[in-house]
Amino acid sequence: MAKSGVALRGRSLVGLILAAFVLIATAIVWRRTIGINQSEQLAALDAKRVNLESERARLDAEIRDASSRQNLGTAVERRLRMHVPTDKQVVILPRVRPDEAP
Amino acid sequence: MKRPSRTSIVHWFFVLFAVTLVARAAKVQVVEGKQWSARATRQHFFASSLAAPRGEILDASGNTLVESREMTRVAVALPEVRDTAFVIKALHRARVDADALHSAIARRRRWIDLPGVYSTADVASISKLNGIHLTPVLQRVYANSTGIKRIIGSVDGQGNPLDGLELALDTLLRGDSGKVRLARDRDGRALDSPDGWTDHPKQGATVVLTINHALQDICERELAIAVDSLRADGGDVVVMNPHTGEILAMASNRVGRSAFANTAVTEPFEPGSTLKPFVAASLLERGRARPTDVVNTHNGQLELDGRVINDMHKATALSLADVIRYSSNVGIVEFGQRLTPRQKYETFRDLGFGMPLGVPLPAESGGTLRDPRQWSKQSSASILMGYEIAVTPLQLVTAYAAIANGGELLEPHLVKEVRSANGKTIYRAEPRVVRRVMSFDVARTVQQMLLAVVQEGTATKADLATFDVAGKSGTARRTSQNIGYTAGNYTASFVGLFPGNDPQYVVLVKLDSPKGGHYAGGDIAAPVTQIVLRAALAARDAALNREDLAASEKQATTQSPKGDASITNKLALRTANEGPRTNPESYDPNGNISRRDVADAPKPYVVDLPAAPRPAPIAVTPRPVPDVRGLSVREAVRALHNAGFRVRLLTAASSGTSPAAGTIAAPGTIVQLVRPLE
Repeated sequence: MAKSGVALRGRSLVGLILAAFVLIATAIVWRRTIGINQSEQLAALDAKRVNLESERARLDAEIRDASSRQNLGTAVERRLRMHVPTDKQVVILPRVRPDEAP
Repeated sequence: MKRPSRTSIVHWFFVLFAVTLVARAAKVQVVEGKQWSARATRQHFFASSLAAPRGEILDASGNTLVESREMTRVAVALPEVRDTAFVIKALHRARVDADALHSAIARRRRWIDLPGVYSTADVASISKLNGIHLTPVLQRVYANSTGIKRIIGSVDGQGNPLDGLELALDTLLRGDSGKVRLARDRDGRALDSPDGWTDHPKQGATVVLTINHALQDICERELAIAVDSLRADGGDVVVMNPHTGEILAMASNRVGRSAFANTAVTEPFEPGSTLKPFVAASLLERGRARPTDVVNTHNGQLELDGRVINDMHKATALSLADVIRYSSNVGIVEFGQRLTPRQKYETFRDLGFGMPLGVPLPAESGGTLRDPRQWSKQSSASILMGYEIAVTPLQLVTAYAAIANGGELLEPHLVKEVRSANGKTIYRAEPRVVRRVMSFDVARTVQQMLLAVVQEGTATKADLATFDVAGKSGTARRTSQNIGYTAGNYTASFVGLFPGNDPQYVVLVKLDSPKGGHYAGGDIAAPVTQIVLRAALAARDAALNREDLAASEKQATTQSPKGDASITNKLALRTANEGPRTNPESYDPNGNISRRDVADAPKPYVVDLPAAPRPAPIAVTPRPVPDVRGLSVREAVRALHNAGFRVRLLTAASSGTSPAAGTIAAPGTIVQLVRPLE
């Protein structure tokens, strides 16, 4: 009886070790799978960031060009019939010093 | 001997197999372990270089002139492509130019780099196709301004600098590339790995130029209009701050040539009469003449060394001041005989002519100034009239800046500041005096002469109603290749100091070979200067100190009638042969310049403001960027605004400001406030 019990404990131990091995291996694979997925997500987000940065630079450049004097100057002169003011039409207001303020 | 049983043989066979297996495993793991480990690492991991973004180039106000952005280049490995038709369709759908692919297939090429660069989003749909290889590349995004591009230069498709500041300052701008160790997945695609490492690239330094973008735009636009209207071959406009040597604008235009060189520093020209003030300064400095000294001007015609020198404004006698005012060739030659050839040469050499100024632009020309030993008989007179000497527009502006600032020749500079990637200032340009070329008193005297040129002389068309402008016009004959001087081929130029009594700008306008009846500098270059100045006055930020400008405004009571008629009247007092200006009409770029008459004189403005005056004046001196760490975004923006800075919000991994806290910056500078990613 005792002999049979020892044999059973041995097989159980081997079974337990195998089960633990499978569990640990599964956990490692699972962790690596999660890691790789997250890495892919990070890479995708990084690519998105790069793309957005690139888009920002392009839009910034377009805004700069669109608001440049060369573009706006021509447009306002043709469409709105505006012109560069003469120096007489530009008034420079002197700053009021605190002691001169009323 | 007992023969082993068959069971024993099988048993020993397994034992031997097991021992062999263990031995082989031990060899692989222990003896060859490092070698196999290295091989596995090579298979699973690879190092990829990370290109460093080139540094930004900003204008003086902090506006971006050029920056880098990451784009993608597409290549196709044809042997890896399973379905060529499908790949071509996918490339078309992604708007990738696949025309080159057809010819590559026809020529049975194995690898084809498709032309152009694309954003990552555009090519995301084709990134997983077999045979498609995407490579990130950094592309430079430039301000869409021809003049700025001429200054900044360009880089090729591989990011190598080709010309301009990109080439001259490459060591600063290019940064240090980095490396990253990535893992490969089963398909060979790159993956970030916990076992990997990253040696981050260091972005290139940010270069802040002295160029004012608004003023540059003004100069380019007015120059383009003038060149077009006058059917000139081209022209240059340069604006400099005479007190610091900062180049505020540098515009060039060449018709029919896709020139990318900055001709304001690469193409010297014979300056003509714009050199006369320096002859006058030399005479005054050496005590060889006084402004009131009078010489015989031979009724505007002088025969000397086998040639005849003519004046446009004919007079029998003129003082030195009037020689400058009416740009008398005969007068300056008569006065110039009081100087030895060596003294003339030294005068121009000391002003920086004949040698490069050292601005960080490739192919800068030093101009031509020959040693007196190489002069001909006529050279001594020619050089006084601005011939047989060639200067670049920038050299001429730098020399005039010496008159404007009281006699000091300053080193011109184009780079105001260099900041490292972390915002730390590693270089800041300071005004550097090369030498004193004339005394303060002589500079002021010459400045008064130049005021008279615009008020009553040859360049009245540069004058403004509310500010004095000083300056000198020049009209020089141009040579054609292998022919020499040709009829009707002139360089018209004008160099102005604005405001005339306390200059903040030195402006040079030069027009090459204008066609039609108008070619005199005072008639066509001076009005362009006037237009540039008026546009600068109207611009929000054109590097003008308006507080000082307000103090320089003309008083209405001091206005006097001006115009070409007054020149003729004054000359009539001195001349036997009265010679009115031959060219009363002037270039009218915007159709709204009219000759000023007495009734048009400006009246003083009285403005009643409904709002209470500001409690305290705003200081305009440079100040440190405040430390906003720990503040909310709203509080940080408020603190920066209160300190006089403009704010641009950015989001990044780490927070901070650029320029960094404590950096001294001018009010109005754009401070990039980086808030952390949420």
